[in-house]
Formats: sequence, structure tokens, C-alpha cells
Amino acid sequence: MSFAVEAESLVKVFGDIRALDGLSFKIKPGEIYGLIGPNGAGKTTALRIAATLILPTSGSAKVYDHDVVSEASEVRKLIAYLPEEAGAYKNLSGDEYLRFMAKFGSESNEVLEETVRSAEEISGLGDRLRDKVKTYSKGMKRRLLVARALMTKPKLAVLDEPTSGLDVLHSVHVREIIKQYVEKHGVSVLLSSHNMLEVEYLCERVALIDHGKIVAEGTPEELKSKNKVENLEEAFAKVVGLA
Amino acid sequence: MLKGLGNVVVKELKELLRDPKILIGMILVPLVMFPIMGFVIRGAMESTEERLQSLQIGVVDFDHGIIAKNLTDFLDDLDTVILVNISASNVEEAVEILQTETNATDLIVIPAGFTENVSQANPDKYPVTVEVYSVFSGAGGIAETATSSVVSEYLEYFKKTLAPDPFQTVPKSIVKGKPTDVPPSVLFSIMFSQVFALPITVSILLVFSMQIAATSVASEKEEKTLETLLSLPISRFTILFGKLAGSTIVAAVGAIAIIVGFNYYMGSFMVMGDMGVSLDLAAIGLAPTLLGYLILGASVFASLLSALALAIIISAFSEDVRGAQSIVGYLYVIIMLPMFIIMFTDFNSLPLAARIVLLAIPYTHPMLAAQATLTGNFLMAIFGVVYVVLFTVALLYIAAKLFATEKILTAKLRFRGFRLRKKKG
Repeated sequence: MSFAVEAESLVKVFGDIRALDGLSFKIKPGEIYGLIGPNGAGKTTALRIAATLILPTSGSAKVYDHDVVSEASEVRKLIAYLPEEAGAYKNLSGDEYLRFMAKFGSESNEVLEETVRSAEEISGLGDRLRDKVKTYSKGMKRRLLVARALMTKPKLAVLDEPTSGLDVLHSVHVREIIKQYVEKHGVSVLLSSHNMLEVEYLCERVALIDHGKIVAEGTPEELKSKNKVENLEEAFAKVVGLA
Repeated sequence: MLKGLGNVVVKELKELLRDPKILIGMILVPLVMFPIMGFVIRGAMESTEERLQSLQIGVVDFDHGIIAKNLTDFLDDLDTVILVNISASNVEEAVEILQTETNATDLIVIPAGFTENVSQANPDKYPVTVEVYSVFSGAGGIAETATSSVVSEYLEYFKKTLAPDPFQTVPKSIVKGKPTDVPPSVLFSIMFSQVFALPITVSILLVFSMQIAATSVASEKEEKTLETLLSLPISRFTILFGKLAGSTIVAAVGAIAIIVGFNYYMGSFMVMGDMGVSLDLAAIGLAPTLLGYLILGASVFASLLSALALAIIISAFSEDVRGAQSIVGYLYVIIMLPMFIIMFTDFNSLPLAARIVLLAIPYTHPMLAAQATLTGNFLMAIFGVVYVVLFTVALLYIAAKLFATEKILTAKLRFRGFRLRKKKG
């Protein structure tokens, strides 16, 4: 069976810091998989490796059977990556930004227009797309960027803290569009978050990650019942020995 | 009234002085830059002084009279003058001998009838003119015209031993081995444009372009757009060359603006000149030729490209725009240094080691190319273009390597010394 992501014993060392320490996980096609853990647990590092931005010190990762190191350019054709706190070019309008990004994956004008239309729909920004990005609020910018990540219908969307820093209304909107879009187009998602509520709502399976290692894995329900707790936050605290 | 001001000031000072970038840029760079500049300028002044202390002057005497002999004896007796008597049948021949057989910088032409006319002591009825030709090389920095003034001073002094104002001294120049009527002061004005205006403009352009290029990468990092860009299905080379091309187009427009402005500037000398006499630079071989402009343009452009590549590499090591601009700021030293040295000194008279260091700095070459438009020493300028192109290719290779790896995201300039000190504290 071909996995959307197949990470095997990933280790990443930055100087004296061991950001990942033998991380292994598999994501099935069409699945939303969440990495959750505190700041500095290694979530972003794992996502950056999957997005071909950094290389693992050892271990391997494959996206739909393509190695992220030796076949990085193939992997980039399959994925869309949304970094945490990512920005957009502030002197472009939202529409120009989407077009700029859409052009890289569009082989014809029809595809380009279709991609941009789809992004307009996902973002829900309407006429504000004609305005420059620098006039956007944080929430609007995030909606634009989520739309950018999903508009090309990637086989794998790598989303780092998709609702980080957003207020409740924007967070709800962003979660909704991710969930709907994934269901509609069968996109696989690898996301990271330290918002357990979000993960519980979005993810089919989650991995609790601490000090670069997975300390527990399963569906949110499994993790809660196994640890005899009411939510993932408590499950995490229990697993890492805080409760 | 300003309650808490002291507290705010102390916080500001801590913030600023603990930032190694500011410390280096504001304090260490000037501490290094000014002594080097002082050293260069002092060297230039000393070498000019030395030159004036043992001035080699050629004299061609078409008169052979007693006052002409007095004049040559007067000059010969001066401790600071090494007099070279030249026998020739006309000025052209004398200039040729001066240039080929002596190291003299100036030629005094004593005209036929000098003694007889000066003896009349009636300059209105018997005007006498002594021409002083100064060799103009175009590469001597600001010291170039100093000899001409000194020779004129000597002649003025000699005049005072005779009747009041018995003859006129007319300063002229020797350009590319040929005597011309253009006074050295006018040529100095032209040279001023080469050794001052152009290098300053090129330096400003280089600094400006480096800021653009450094900002273009650093702002991607600061705005967190670089990661998205790098995860797109396009090659890293495309991104790098896209950035370079964008900055290069801006820089090329700048280079063209410089050449056009420079051409206009040179054109303004066509109508300039002493006593309203129009000066045709082309006629005396000083108008930059098409080849000169092409080499100058190529040199400026190649240096710009190398500056851009360097700025991009450097900005890869910073996390934000401010950091990138601070680090790029350190490079201004290697842009400004050649500029000052070429302004104030004769490059060819510098010690070999200094010349090698200067030639190794790519930003020396557009300055030398600017001089070459005057001196006609294109070989050096072409060598410069080739060197800068090779230097740029090497830089582009490094930049491409940086972009191809995760270093573009993870590289950071570390100031270990400061960390160690902090830890100890």
C-alpha cells in the first residue's frame, strides 16, 4: 500500500539540539493526521522535512513513495506547505498573490483561472482580494494562505499550526474550510498544532510528540479512552508524566 | 517632567550596545576605516611632496640668449629641481624627447627672441610668452596638477628678479604624448569627474543595489514567505536567478543611468575652457571612445552583479531585513576603500602588495575602468572585467549551493565571542 507519508526513524540534529529523535509515522491517503505537542517538541521540524525544506540527519521520509531527499522535486509537485505564521507578499493584492502562486502548478490558462476561482471560494475574502495584502488582518492573511495551500488540490497538504494566533471566528472558518475541502477532494493532510481542540475536531489520527519522539499514537477517541481522560490535553499531560 | 527618562535611556543603550551588529557597524568599522583612509591619504600626500621635492623639469631653449640662460641656471640651482635640457627644433619634438627619454613631468618652452623682448621691458609692445607643458596621465589622483602649479611659482619667482612682469606664463598640457593648448586646470576638472564623480556615483549605486538584493532575500525570511517559495515545484536555481534578475534589472537601469549621466557630464566640458574657448575633448584624445564606454559599462555591470550575488549570500545568513542590512553594511568598507585610494593616489605608484590587495577587490575595477577612459589603458580594464566576471561566477556558484540546501533557511551568523563573554558574565 502506498502511504501519503511514510516517515521512518527520522533524526534531525541542529548543533547541540536533537530536534527529532527517531520519529516514525505513516499517513494513509485521504487521512488527516495531526502531530501534537508542546513548543520545541519537533513538530515543525518534522513538517519541514516532509515539505523538502530541510534534510533529515538520518532516517527517511517518503511522500507517495517519493523520497523527500533524493526525489525532492517530485515531492514538491505533490504537496502544498503552509508554514506557521507564514506571510504573503505585502505589496501584491490577494488576487495577485494567488495568481503568482497558481502559475507554478498550472499548465494552461483554464487551469490557472480554475485554481484562482477555487482559492477565492476557499478564502471567502470576496472583493478584499483586490486589496493589497498589507491591508489584511492576521485572520484574513491566514485565510488567504490556507486558500493558497489548498487551491491546487495537492495530494498532501502540510499545514503547520493552521490557526495559530487567530481569533475564534477566523479559527472556526479555517478549520471548516480545511475539513470540507479535504473531504471533497480527498487531500491527505499532515498538520501540527498545540491546540488540542483543533486536533480533536480535524484529525482522524494523532501522534503525541515530545522531545522529538512519538510518545503515543491513535485516534483521538483511542488516546482519551486508553488514558482514561476527557480530552487530548489531559491525555498528553498523562503520557508525558505531567499528570 | 521626563520621569523615567533615565530608565528608558539605560534600556536603549543596553539594547543597542549588546547588538553585535550595531557594535561592529558603528564602532569597529569606523575604527578600522578611518586609520586606513588616513594612512592612504598621508601616503598620497607624502608621495606628492616627494615628487615636488625633486621635480624633474625639461627645458627647451629656442632663444639661447643671456636671460634664457639665467632662467635655466636659476632653475638648475634650485635644490628641489632636476633640470633636463632638451635640444629640439620644435615643441612637438621636445615633447617627444621629454616623454621618451626623461621622467620629467613638465616642459618649459623658452621662445625664440625671449632675451631680446624681455630686455625691452615693455610687455605691451613686446609681449613674451613662456609655455609650460605639464604631462597629463589621468591616473595620478589629485596630485596630478600639483607640478604645474609649482613650476609656475618658480617662473613667477624668476620674473621678480627681472623687470615687473616681463613675460607671461601660459600653462599647457601634454596629453598622450602630444602638446595641447588646454591648461592642466581644465584637464584636472575633467579628471575630477573621473576620479571623484564617477567612483562616488558607482559606489552609491553598488551600496544601493546591495541593499535591494539583501532586502529581497531577507524580507522573504522576515515575512516568512521564503519557506513557501522553497516548497513550490520550481527549482531553487529559478528562485535564485529570479531574485538576481530582478535586482540586476534595477541595477542595470542604474548602470545605464550612470553612463548616460557621465556622458552628459563629459559633454559639458565641450563648451567649457579658459577664456570661453571651447574645448573639444575628442580632438585632444580625452573624450571616452565607444570602446571606453563599453568597457566602463561592462565593468560597472559586472561589479554590480558580483555585489548583488554577495549581498544575496550574506542576507542568507540573517534572519531579518535589519540584520541583512547591517551585515551588508560591513561590505561598504571594501567598496569605499578602493574609491578613496584611487581618488587620492597614483595607483601605479602604490606598493605591489597594496596593488594586489586592491586588484583582488572587485569594486576597484570600475574605478580603474573609469580612469582607463582617460588614460587609454584598456588592457588593465579588460583584465578587470574578466576578473570580476570570474569572481561573480564563483559567488553565484556559492549562492546556488546555498539555495540548494537547507542552509538558506537555517544559516545564521554567529558571534561566538559575545556569547562566550555573556556566559562568563
